[in-house]
Amino acid sequence: MSDLSSVPSAAPTVSAAGLTLRYGGTAALDDVSVRLGEGVTGLLGPNGAGKTTLLRVLATAVPPDKGAFTVLGNDPGTSAGRQEVRRALGYLPQAPGFHPDFSAFEFVDYVAILKELTDRTARHREVRRVLDAVALSDVRSKRIKKLSGGMRQRVALAAALVGDPGFLVLDEPTVGLDPEQRMRFRELIARAGEGRTVLLSTHQTEDVAMLCHRVIVMVRGRVRFEGTPAELTARAAGRVWSSTERDPGAWAGWRTGTGSFRNVGEPPEGADMVEPTLEDGYLLTLDGESSEVAPA
Amino acid sequence: MSDGDTNETRDPGAMTWHVAEDDLRAYVRGELAAPMLWSADTHLMACAHCRAVLAEVSDPVPLDEGWERLDAELDVPRPGFLESMLVRAGVADHTARLLAATPVLRRSWLSALVAVLFCTVIATSSAGAPDSPALFLALAPLLPLAGVALSYGPVLDPTYEMAVVSPMHGFRLLMIRTVPVLATALALNGLATLALPSYGLRALAWLLPALALTSTGLALTPRLGPVLAPSLVGGTWIAVLLIAQGTTSEGTLAPYTVAGQSVAAAVAVLAAGLFYLRRDRFDSTSAHTPFAGFTGYTDGGAA
Repeated sequence: MSDLSSVPSAAPTVSAAGLTLRYGGTAALDDVSVRLGEGVTGLLGPNGAGKTTLLRVLATAVPPDKGAFTVLGNDPGTSAGRQEVRRALGYLPQAPGFHPDFSAFEFVDYVAILKELTDRTARHREVRRVLDAVALSDVRSKRIKKLSGGMRQRVALAAALVGDPGFLVLDEPTVGLDPEQRMRFRELIARAGEGRTVLLSTHQTEDVAMLCHRVIVMVRGRVRFEGTPAELTARAAGRVWSSTERDPGAWAGWRTGTGSFRNVGEPPEGADMVEPTLEDGYLLTLDGESSEVAPA
Repeated sequence: MSDGDTNETRDPGAMTWHVAEDDLRAYVRGELAAPMLWSADTHLMACAHCRAVLAEVSDPVPLDEGWERLDAELDVPRPGFLESMLVRAGVADHTARLLAATPVLRRSWLSALVAVLFCTVIATSSAGAPDSPALFLALAPLLPLAGVALSYGPVLDPTYEMAVVSPMHGFRLLMIRTVPVLATALALNGLATLALPSYGLRALAWLLPALALTSTGLALTPRLGPVLAPSLVGGTWIAVLLIAQGTTSEGTLAPYTVAGQSVAAAVAVLAAGLFYLRRDRFDSTSAHTPFAGFTGYTDGGAA
């Protein structure tokens, strides 16, 4: 825990220092230190970057091999602290499982019981509240297997929100949703982020641009970037240009909707520079040369 | 009652009387008695003035509570057969709900179990084995082991990951599921034993091995995982039987002798003790493979 005291921050709600976790020979997490505060923090990274592992560690599903972390002042390294972390936790796993024969209400009720809400009347009131919050009141008695993918994802979010947790961990919740469902889901997450700490893993920079006040980029088990979305965008300033043909000197280039090519990297002399976006900043951060920002 | 409590109105075209405010208050509280209740009911249908007064004197909070109660009643999930039986038997409704989510207590699993037992009993009776119902005795201890292994863990519980990070202690959830599964499997085995009356008490020789296998499987789960542990225990049981078969020329197989039964009892007690001592290990998943088990948080601080 000693590392945490040296981290300058205005009261982080979740602090992790030196988290390391190895699967066989590879380090899924390699000395990861992060600080989260109230609001939505986005966790970006390519597949296999260790996003899910970090989320599972912070959600106490799996202990780290090394390192420590606290959630809302509780240390999950002790049994009592872990219990407190779990009481304050809402977790939406990457592929949330359901008991298919349960209705939406029954499923959220089941999770509420796991969260120790044993008083029936109060629990049912809470279940109705969260189903209402994700706009599922109308289908609450439908069996989960009859709901659409977007609705199921909302059931899982409702289950994560039950008991009003202070720390919400959402693992790629917008995967598999169509654009309209994704928009609705983003609104729900934005609302959920008011007054609580939300860690949202995603591979969509759009999610981050629209929702997050902070963003962490992970690559190969390490933190490559930690800051605001604007800071991530600023990393691409002066490094994005437009051309009619793919620029062979660009680090990455793709054809945009207008037919021209958008290139990121080191621009050639006289290039047609364009305003960078979060996506550009993210792409450049994935490049090996950007590792100097990785915080210790 | 009515005369003194009603008001005359001067407007000849309107109502000739109105319900007294006190009566309306009683009406709201559900305390107004017949026949005044009936008069008030009929009158309120026709008189906007009294409806307005009724709305004023109604305390909005109890009304909301009334709606909420109604809403809650409409919402309450209709518990399935198993859940209602449990609640009727005095099990707390939240515990019953956790149990209802146990996959192996579903009808399809129970039917499969009954089918396996039925076939085994038929095969055992028709085999005409002279001394003991060997096939039945070999299989019966494996059924509770398998049932318990499948009732908790990532293999069959789709919400396993959510359950692991819930504040409810993993051991408690495991027990909530294991005990009824074990009881059900033992009861069905017991019924199957009754179908083999010619063997008398010898047909009950599965009981102690069943307890030994199940408790050993549970005790090894924190170390070996919820798949490997029961598989290994089941495999060992079959190996023991095959060795016993190979070395016994006539008479009862070793596990079913008095000595064998004593060993089974001792193993059951030891394994149950070990399982209890390791209860805190059922508190997180393993980092290393999805099926490796519970070699996670190992502090013993939980009560």
